[in-house]
Amino acid sequence: MYEYFEHTADVGIRVRAASLEELFAEAGAALMAFMLDAPAPGPTATQRTFELAADDLEELLHEWLSELLYTYETEHLVLGDFRVKLRDNALTAEGWAEPLVPKRHLPSHEVKAVTYHALTVQQGDNGYLAEVVLDI
Amino acid sequence: MPVQVNTFGPLEEVGVCTWRLPRTYKPGMRVDGMLFAHPDQLEAILADRAVEQVANVAFLPGIQGASLAMPDIHWGYGFCIGGVCATDPAEGGVISPGGVGYDINCGVRLLRSDLHLNDVQPHIKELVNALFRQIPTGPGREGRYHFDQPMLKRLMREGPRALIERDLATPRDIAFTEAEGRLAGAEPDRVSDRAITRGLNQCGTLGGGNHFLEVQVVERVEDRAAAAVMGLSEGMICVLIHSGSRGLGYQVCQDALKMLRDAPQRYGISLPDRQLACAPIDSEHGQSYLGAMRAAANFAWCNRQVLMAQARHVFERVLGRRWQDLGMELVYDVAHNIAKLEEHQVDSARKQVMVHRKGATRAFPPGHAELPAPYWQIGQPVFIPGDMGRASWVLVGQPGSMTKSFGSTCHGAGRAMSRTAAIKASQGRRIENELLERGVVARARGWRGLAEEQPDAYKDVDIVVDVVHRVGLSKKVARLRPIGVIKG
Repeated sequence: MYEYFEHTADVGIRVRAASLEELFAEAGAALMAFMLDAPAPGPTATQRTFELAADDLEELLHEWLSELLYTYETEHLVLGDFRVKLRDNALTAEGWAEPLVPKRHLPSHEVKAVTYHALTVQQGDNGYLAEVVLDI
Repeated sequence: MPVQVNTFGPLEEVGVCTWRLPRTYKPGMRVDGMLFAHPDQLEAILADRAVEQVANVAFLPGIQGASLAMPDIHWGYGFCIGGVCATDPAEGGVISPGGVGYDINCGVRLLRSDLHLNDVQPHIKELVNALFRQIPTGPGREGRYHFDQPMLKRLMREGPRALIERDLATPRDIAFTEAEGRLAGAEPDRVSDRAITRGLNQCGTLGGGNHFLEVQVVERVEDRAAAAVMGLSEGMICVLIHSGSRGLGYQVCQDALKMLRDAPQRYGISLPDRQLACAPIDSEHGQSYLGAMRAAANFAWCNRQVLMAQARHVFERVLGRRWQDLGMELVYDVAHNIAKLEEHQVDSARKQVMVHRKGATRAFPPGHAELPAPYWQIGQPVFIPGDMGRASWVLVGQPGSMTKSFGSTCHGAGRAMSRTAAIKASQGRRIENELLERGVVARARGWRGLAEEQPDAYKDVDIVVDVVHRVGLSKKVARLRPIGVIKG
């Protein structure tokens, strides 16, 4: 489950999930849904795998979202339905990937960067919470 | 009898529209904060927490004078937007990527013309549509001009002068660009492959967010002599372009923040905010970022140059005359997200300091050696974009900028509404039609672009400009009104 929150000129993503794996998957979905009005797969979707590692969970979330942004911007690939595995601050994720068709996927926002500003990954009583601010 | 000092929260009034945040406000501040703002703005500024960021910047080693904020201040990442900070390399001064921002050398350039409003008004729809078709805007759109990797590196090293041979720039364009479009010490080899990949197809693209290209008319001239030197007069058509270094610059900033993650511990720097990551200017880390940042800045000048070349071509096609015959000369190009080594007077000494401008514009006064000769008398042109329904301003730098703000002034209106609030406020409205009623033809990729950037989402640029005028950082020359807008 995710929602967007306000940050003066930019926007933040707040994600809640029962597990860390879901938290990362939802954060990825939230980023794609912010950049595209219709980030749904079509007939030409293929599978894509990501492998990343970082020093801590917050850095890993930053790396993960930055990797998705980079892949979207440089390969013009729309991505989704992430299945994430985490182990010792390392991530393996799988999802579909499909070349961007602007008329179908409807790009809505350009994201400049995933910032470190107020970046947080926390465990609460009912699962996990993450917040991240996007520069747009 | 004690002298009455006006205060507002932690701020003390020390002059006209000038407010001091004493260094006692937060333990660790090395200098005071200094804010230029109208008293009516203060409540909103304090509510935004941006003043906390002014205090945090005052922690940076080697900071000179004061941690400064312009009247368009709002909350940013590490640095506030509208922040200026000068550090002295000889005193262990640091360079901080957060003091430049993700969009390295985001800036504005103004083109003049010999066209009058009456010449263009009948063609304005056609003109805006043609600009919108020609100039790539918004997410995922590639540039029309392709530069291979060796050429891209040349653009990063040499700036827009490398575009002269491709007929996309003239020597006069270069002379009328801040720093002649080339920061010395650019090191394209310090720019990561990821940054180059992001930038490869983006030279000559506008981007999204608040970036725009506007056709404007000079509505009111306030300083006839200065306007005449810039070739501006009432009723004249101009083009204002706002963009930066695109994905290339964003990635350079991101790479640097990652590289500098451990730098504060390594160099024994204590900081209140991770986004303020920095390194001594004279360190390997500092030099590495500076080399890449300058390369990205030079790329940004190339981007705005190619955007301008495309705008000239569109005017040629629609109006059927060469751009030279339409008098479409560049008035000037200024950066508002950058860090540069400049000479400034600090107390009783002349010093080379690293001036960080994060949402602030250089505003050198008359007689400054870095200005092109025609502007020696009047000072450096400064362009302050407002919102797309109201106005933008042309100013010139004043001597006060050298004594009060390390040669800097404001950069824009600043947002009054968040993007989500702007979307909510636009429900059931047609922003495009509302703009049309105000005499502005606007085109954007999606409805959101116009909704989020609607005029009401911004503060009144006139108030911001009034403050810098009264403080003596820069002087009003002309107010421009948009008549055509393209956005991402």
